[in-house]
Amino acid sequence: MKSTSSPADLRPTRYDALVAAAVLVLAIAVAVAVYAPARAGGEEPVVVVTAGGEEVYRLPLRQFPDAPVTFTHNGYTLTLRPDASGSDSGVYVAQSDCPGHDCVHMGVIRRTGQSIVCLPAQIVIRLEGGSGGPDLTVG
Amino acid sequence: MKRRFFLPAMLALCLLTSCTVPSAKPEPEPVTAELFAMDTYMSLVAYGDEAQDALTEASQVINDLDRTLSRTREGSDVWNLNHAGSVVPSADTAVLLNAALRYTADTEGCFDITIAPLVEAWGITTDSPRVPSQEEIDALLKKVGPQHLLLTADMARLDKGCAVDLGAIAKGYAGDAVADVFSRYGVESGAVSLGGNVYVCGTRPDGNPWQVAIQDPQGEGYACTLLLSDAFAVTSGGYQRYFTGPDGTVYQHILDPATGRPAQSDLLSVTVVCPNGTRADAYSTALYVMGEQRAWQFWEARDGGDRAFDMVLVTADGRLVVTPGLADRFREEESAPYEVHFITR
Repeated sequence: MKSTSSPADLRPTRYDALVAAAVLVLAIAVAVAVYAPARAGGEEPVVVVTAGGEEVYRLPLRQFPDAPVTFTHNGYTLTLRPDASGSDSGVYVAQSDCPGHDCVHMGVIRRTGQSIVCLPAQIVIRLEGGSGGPDLTVG
Repeated sequence: MKRRFFLPAMLALCLLTSCTVPSAKPEPEPVTAELFAMDTYMSLVAYGDEAQDALTEASQVINDLDRTLSRTREGSDVWNLNHAGSVVPSADTAVLLNAALRYTADTEGCFDITIAPLVEAWGITTDSPRVPSQEEIDALLKKVGPQHLLLTADMARLDKGCAVDLGAIAKGYAGDAVADVFSRYGVESGAVSLGGNVYVCGTRPDGNPWQVAIQDPQGEGYACTLLLSDAFAVTSGGYQRYFTGPDGTVYQHILDPATGRPAQSDLLSVTVVCPNGTRADAYSTALYVMGEQRAWQFWEARDGGDRAFDMVLVTADGRLVVTPGLADRFREEESAPYEVHFITR
């Protein structure tokens, strides 16, 4: 093998360093642009309420009002309130005139995929969107 | 100078080409259905060319089963059996009654559909729950037991004053029926939640297993997550359906057929994972009644056999007990306050 370059020619110069730095910056920028939106999910959880299968309410969780929101269906009324006691905001059924009060017992929901169901009222409150939530919840 | 730029240029090429852009192939659109049936809320999602037809038929099947198997719906097979003492059962009712008797024997009575008279007396999920007197419980316990239900080729009979309640097994059976519908329509990706019963068909459209989170029975989040495909997962626990008596005592809704009272379990919830929805449903109730020690023994005795299953027990003293079949499909929940214990064979 024959070399036409002297050892001095192969020694890195400041131009080489500049090109390497530029390549690194460009690669990181491309990686962030490609992967970051997919990982972040790009949205926050949304509170969706259905009554008898019809959607009656939809609002980003963070914008849920401080004042209680009531929903009436099938002869029963539920009162939904925000909860800010944890690190993430959430909502819960504070009151219900349904028998059993299962919906009240379900407590606060904060994460995508969680839901509160009131069978007598046929009202479902669930958190949609966001990122990182499971596909299904059992229990 | 050109040679000096060769190495950095190659490095640039390597770095940039390694940033492969995610496939531009669009995610298939899900088809969804929701319904209130069998005293619970159900949601179904399916993917594929015939997903819409599959969900339409699955919803129909579930509603038909509800009409047939409901204890409270006048004219259903179970209502007729409980009120008239006998019925010529539909094919589904006959299959399920036979299965229920098998599971009663299998679980040594911890699962028992003849508990219905006591369910009625407690009325825990009704408008007027109450605590029956011990005398009343003792009298009703005499009406409980598989010996009171006689099944022949074309008839089901109950002893006088006895009744059955398929609530602890009917949703599991409905899950099996939905799986059958999905299979006939060629659905290869779908997920179904029938109250506390989950069925996942195939994998998610992206090829990954479905993420099934187990509700934390004493918190607001999840106890853990299971990565499942082609499986049923059913959870039983007393933490959502209960009532508080006049003296402040909490009475949860799962009754122990041996005592006629709410099960005094050292478990907060039991999740059973297996390839059969009916079995998962019956076992989850039975294991909750059994408690941790007997649940272990029950699992161990069936491990490797044709009635094998996996389970996640959430214990009252803060542990998650997980069978080895779920070890590589188990994801711990960082915020959950549980110590994870994997059972070893």
